[in-house]
Amino acid sequence: AAMLADGSAPGAAVPSLWRSGRSLRCEAKSCQTGKISTAEAAVQSQTSQDASVQTDQSIDAAQAFQQEVQVDYASLLLFLQRVEDVVIKELNKNWTSRAFDGFEVNWTDQNEAVLCLHTLSYPEAQDQHLQVTSISWNATGSVLACSYGRLSDGDWSTEKSYVCTWNLDRRGLDPKHPDLVVDVPSSVLCLAFHPSQPSLIAGGLFSGEVVVWDTSRREDPLIWRTGLTDDTHTDPVYQVSWLPDAKHRNHFQLLSASTDGKVLVWREERDGRLALAEGFALVAQQIPRSAQLKKLTWGEAAVGVTSLSFSHFDPRVFIVGVEGGYSLKCSMAAETPALHRTGSSVSLRAPAELAFSPHGGPVYSVSCSPFHRQVLNLFLSCGTDGQVHLNSMLQTQPLLSLQLSKKYLFCVRWSPVRPLVFAAASGEGNQKCFCFTGDVHLFDFAKSSQKPAVSIKQAAAECPVYCLEFNIKQTQLLAAGDATGTVRVWQLSSDFTEQGPREMTHLEQLASETTD
Amino acid sequence: AEVDETLKRIQAHKGVIATMIINAEGIPIRTTLDNSTTVQYAGLLCQLTTKARSTVRDIDPQNDLTFLRIRSKKHEVMVAPDKEYLLVVIQNPCE
Repeated sequence: AAMLADGSAPGAAVPSLWRSGRSLRCEAKSCQTGKISTAEAAVQSQTSQDASVQTDQSIDAAQAFQQEVQVDYASLLLFLQRVEDVVIKELNKNWTSRAFDGFEVNWTDQNEAVLCLHTLSYPEAQDQHLQVTSISWNATGSVLACSYGRLSDGDWSTEKSYVCTWNLDRRGLDPKHPDLVVDVPSSVLCLAFHPSQPSLIAGGLFSGEVVVWDTSRREDPLIWRTGLTDDTHTDPVYQVSWLPDAKHRNHFQLLSASTDGKVLVWREERDGRLALAEGFALVAQQIPRSAQLKKLTWGEAAVGVTSLSFSHFDPRVFIVGVEGGYSLKCSMAAETPALHRTGSSVSLRAPAELAFSPHGGPVYSVSCSPFHRQVLNLFLSCGTDGQVHLNSMLQTQPLLSLQLSKKYLFCVRWSPVRPLVFAAASGEGNQKCFCFTGDVHLFDFAKSSQKPAVSIKQAAAECPVYCLEFNIKQTQLLAAGDATGTVRVWQLSSDFTEQGPREMTHLEQLASETTD
Repeated sequence: AEVDETLKRIQAHKGVIATMIINAEGIPIRTTLDNSTTVQYAGLLCQLTTKARSTVRDIDPQNDLTFLRIRSKKHEVMVAPDKEYLLVVIQNPCE
């Protein structure tokens, strides 16, 4: 018991040495390692070279003109005095000369008839009885993409659809085997290739989403999507379009229009999301009424947009066609807020400025002419009443109204090379009890302003043609997609691809005749 | 000055779309078109005039180019050449 006792042990204190340690000085007396010899053998930095520059293309090199050029006015005057008479004589001779009347030179082989070059289809989509809802040519004009879906559905559909692309310039093109097939979980209703990047394509879906695919990526082409947020459309998207960005000339924004009355502009964000940049909403109460239009009952409902086309001269002006049967001229610079009910992250504006005289049924397609100068600004609209209206943006009444047939007209497009030519696609609607063959009509105002110049039968079977697009780079090609799921590429005859002399003046005359 | 008056007279002629004067180095001195188009015309027409002139003189060294006219579907380009300057007039003929 005495062995266990309480005790306390004194702690051990270790004095700190760091202060004194700091004052110690060390000296290297000798090293144990031998001297290591080194030599420069290789350098890791590489020579660099400029491969490309990221700045935008400069406008042009017109600096030569800006420089102060030393001009000897005396000798210039002498020169002009010498040549003036000669030139004026030639000018007069030319003005009265009949030497070249009717003289035309053919530089390219003349195509006499309209030929069907390719008939493209995707058998799997055809087995599911899907229809071609939209087609688009890419920026280089060699790839054609088509989207499969269904246009005649009224219900909410959740069936899959496809986007197929074919490269027509490739050897070994198999018309039944597209180069790329993208599976899409919802029906794709519209397509638009990017205007300068040949592999990007945007699509609008039945679910209201807008997506962008990159066709150069085989594994997962989907690169951007809007997702289903509060901002996205609540109705099928009927038109997508690429808009040049006002600030960065080489960037584009995506615009989508849908029957929920909204026209939305999207910009790219990280993580593959598309975010709303600005938006417009069309509400019936905010449509400007013109004194010349008949009194129509305007509901409070949103006005469903079925098609859209930008003016080629004023990039902020666009024309929309709506389900109510009229076309509206809208401007992106509009400021008034829209009376739209559902909330969205960006406030929506009311863009409508002018309402044009209506069609007898919904407008399915509008197209602004790429040719006419600012004074005229013509556009075409077509709809279920089988009529095509040629309108000027300055007045509400159409300049010309052509009744193509009793069939519905699904698409109308101006020719990119001839100011007087446009094409319209028709077919029967599904309420009709008898079937007509689907036709593609080509109108040439120079030949006759009432009847089509050429009517191209799309197929032997009876099916409507839903969409058509001219190829801007190879201007003799016209592609048309129909309800059986086939896309045909037509080669137009030279009549339709070569601009005759004074076509612009002819059309201006036509326009001014009818306005009087 | 008088130079401008002469040019105005030429420009006012029937059907004339554009007029320009280019010096021997290919630099436009006077023009009624926009810069980029003018520079394009200047470069191309200078080369073409030189080529036309050498064609004429190769065939006959005593001969020389006096006037050059290019007729296209849409209009006619007339070039009056000289040692120091080039006068270019673009006209839309009547038909």
